[in-house]
Amino acid sequence: MKFVVCMKQVPMASELPWDPKTRTLRRDLAEGMMNPACKQALELALGLGQKEGAQVTAITMGPPMAEEILREAIAMGAHRGLLITDPALAGSDTYATSFTLARAIEIFCPDFDLILTGCHTTDSETAQVGPQLAEELGIASAAYVDEVTVEGGTARLRRVSDGFLETLEIDLPCLVTVNTTNRSPRYVPLSGLEDAFGEVNILSVGVADLGIDPALVGADGSPTRIVDVTAPRSGKENVVLTGAPKKIVEELLERFESRISGLIRQDIRKSDAR
Amino acid sequence: MRLDPCMKHKLVRKAVREFAEAELGPIAHDIDRDARFPWEVVEKMRPLNFFGLQVSRDFGGAGLDSISYAIAVEEISRISGAMGLCVTVHNSVGAYPIERFGTEDQKRRFLPRLASGESIGAFCLTEANAGSDASGVETIAVDAGECFVLNGTKIFVTNGGVCSLPLVFAVSDPSDPTGSSCVFVVEKTMPGFSVGEMEDLCGMRANPVSSIFLEDVRVPRENLIGGIGDGTKIALATLDTGRIGIAAQAVGIAQAAFEAAVKYSKERQQFKRPISSFQSIQNMIADMAVSIDAARLLVYRVCAVRDAGGRFGKEAAMAKLYASTICSEVASKAVQIHGGYGYSKEYDVERYFRDAKVTEIYEGTSEIQRMVISRWVLSESM
Repeated sequence: MKFVVCMKQVPMASELPWDPKTRTLRRDLAEGMMNPACKQALELALGLGQKEGAQVTAITMGPPMAEEILREAIAMGAHRGLLITDPALAGSDTYATSFTLARAIEIFCPDFDLILTGCHTTDSETAQVGPQLAEELGIASAAYVDEVTVEGGTARLRRVSDGFLETLEIDLPCLVTVNTTNRSPRYVPLSGLEDAFGEVNILSVGVADLGIDPALVGADGSPTRIVDVTAPRSGKENVVLTGAPKKIVEELLERFESRISGLIRQDIRKSDAR
Repeated sequence: MRLDPCMKHKLVRKAVREFAEAELGPIAHDIDRDARFPWEVVEKMRPLNFFGLQVSRDFGGAGLDSISYAIAVEEISRISGAMGLCVTVHNSVGAYPIERFGTEDQKRRFLPRLASGESIGAFCLTEANAGSDASGVETIAVDAGECFVLNGTKIFVTNGGVCSLPLVFAVSDPSDPTGSSCVFVVEKTMPGFSVGEMEDLCGMRANPVSSIFLEDVRVPRENLIGGIGDGTKIALATLDTGRIGIAAQAVGIAQAAFEAAVKYSKERQQFKRPISSFQSIQNMIADMAVSIDAARLLVYRVCAVRDAGGRFGKEAAMAKLYASTICSEVASKAVQIHGGYGYSKEYDVERYFRDAKVTEIYEGTSEIQRMVISRWVLSESM
């Protein structure tokens, strides 16, 4: 069997500053890391791959430094890596990204059985690339999956949805986006890291290698426009009630009556009436 | 000349940091308080090759270069100095002498056990009357044909309480300690081998440092590393390598103290301002940052020289001397920045402060390092 894991390098710090002018994250300020949900997808692929004797290919699209997470994936047990990197891809939204990933998979992993992605990334949280990639490839998909087993030509999936445990079956080839629960990704063995920088199969390709019209990718090929990004504000406002006690109680009830449970409310009203 | 870490070294740091923060982070304070060796973490470290960092791949090690090794030790020590100590001693003075001076048969018999972490290594040199002066060793190895019979007492053995395959330094002729010095691989299970009480030390409390007693221990001849008379040479070469590990450990402890101090100085308010806004605190933070950077660069330099196959005795001594000196200074400043809280056992800087001191003492005291460095300098300038 052949598994493909699509992964993204994200900034390590979760509370990164963002640039108010460009409305993007200041990625230059952070070390990169493998997106946690992608690591979960890789762990699921490696575990299932060991059982099924599958070859696992790790794919990422990003700047040249994204090669790092492919090396990490190989150190953890992936068999080969594909780095899609090209200045023309800068600014790609989820649509352009899934389009590019699909073309790369068609060329370099055409006979895949299962594609696994993280359910979302910590830097943009759209959760769109996985399902969009399935659409691009014309295959079935399921999102937020916890467990995958393979029997014959069918993948059996389990996920928690709206408080229910769902068991689904999908014909292979298919795509699943993997949830971040229930799994502890393996640590990177140091001998694996030594191997990952030895004779390993990491292919680096650009837009030309994929036969893609550059106008269809990158910022130009991305229909999404970020209108505004703001940091959510949290805070409490102090209101000091003044006046006679009766007036204060009335005002309190006015503000909070709906939140005070029935019996207490009745008591207050009774004493108020007296 | 490139001074920024390459992708591999960055990944080694990330991998070890992730492990250390997740597995050692939550218990580092408690294992120090309870003087407990965390076997449960050792169990997890074994398959990740922490016990065969530089052992060659043929014998089950990770086969890492020296910089990766130093980074690994630094990152473990950043979380737990005592476990950094366990790892560096096991690798640099437990396994390395066998890799470097052992026969193929010895490597085949001992290295896989050490590299897998099945057996923890140790280096038994120090005695009541020998330490800085290796020629004062009184443990005697009497040649009895098929085996040597060892008698003596070793003290301050790092990993002493948990080692099962230590190297023991001895002499076969007390009248000629240097000419008859020798090193043996000893099995914990050999009759006559016993471990004393754990030392009640100021720092590194999670490492079971102890005495080791050898009473008529019959060690097979094929466990002699090198030959009779090679002991001093092996010990000195081993200590050169060990110093890299201790220097890296010192950098890790200093880094931990520094990070704690920076964080605290931003949080602690006095006179309605964070104390980091005061120049006296800023000066301390600047000095800490510079000295840690300089120490780390000295460590990487000796690693680079070693990996290039050069002689690195002077560079190792310089790195060890400087890193251990600034480690104590940085930890002391970190306590100072924390004020009264820094003197409390509730805060980790108190542990860093205790752990830091011994880096100036073991693997050659600072005074010995200065002696080594000055010898090199004076002989080079002739």
